[in-house]
Amino acid sequence: MTETAPELPADPPARARVSPLAPCVLAWIVPGLGHAWLGRRGRGAAFFTVVVATFVLGIASGGASTVIDRQQPLSYLAIVDNLALGPLDFVARRLTIGELVYRLPDPEADPRRHEILARVRDRVRIPTYEYGSTFLLTAGLMNILLILDAFDIASGRKD
Amino acid sequence: MLRSHFLNMALFALLVSVFFAFLTQTRGRDRVRVMLVMGGAMIVLSLIVAYVMYPFPLPR
Repeated sequence: MTETAPELPADPPARARVSPLAPCVLAWIVPGLGHAWLGRRGRGAAFFTVVVATFVLGIASGGASTVIDRQQPLSYLAIVDNLALGPLDFVARRLTIGELVYRLPDPEADPRRHEILARVRDRVRIPTYEYGSTFLLTAGLMNILLILDAFDIASGRKD
Repeated sequence: MLRSHFLNMALFALLVSVFFAFLTQTRGRDRVRVMLVMGGAMIVLSLIVAYVMYPFPLPR
């Protein structure tokens, strides 16, 4: 009786040789672009549509981007989530706060602090502000998951 | 601007369920199943929670 040689493991798929950095950066710049770059064009298009739709609904529902306020520690987490949207976050800040601002000026007497807070209060008065902000935060969380998913695919951990 | 709370909730459930369906499944049938189960569960559970909260309004 002859023994057959054990099968050698197949060569790692081509995607395992792809640097995971490029799809992660692409996914951060444009949601779904990382997947499209990895050959998953259909999924990339679906992810782009869903994340952008969530983002647009967030703006349309009266949501606002977060600004760091030292008195509110959770604002640090929220701003990381906002930044995960990449360039879309710049658009959101322009549309909701009126300028690219990420931190409230510290001194209470600073007039810029009151200007920024006044603009945020205008958004808070919209009845669906909470929904809008939740949509914006969810779009950011989705893009974080997309970046991690693109990393897994590029490093061969996932199909 | 979307003023309807229910419409906002339904759209949120739809988008999140579509996202996770594409993220976690590869076959079309499985994606549709995840979309229906997840989206339906989010809407139904939200309505149940809303009715449970109905007898306990916020103090004025």
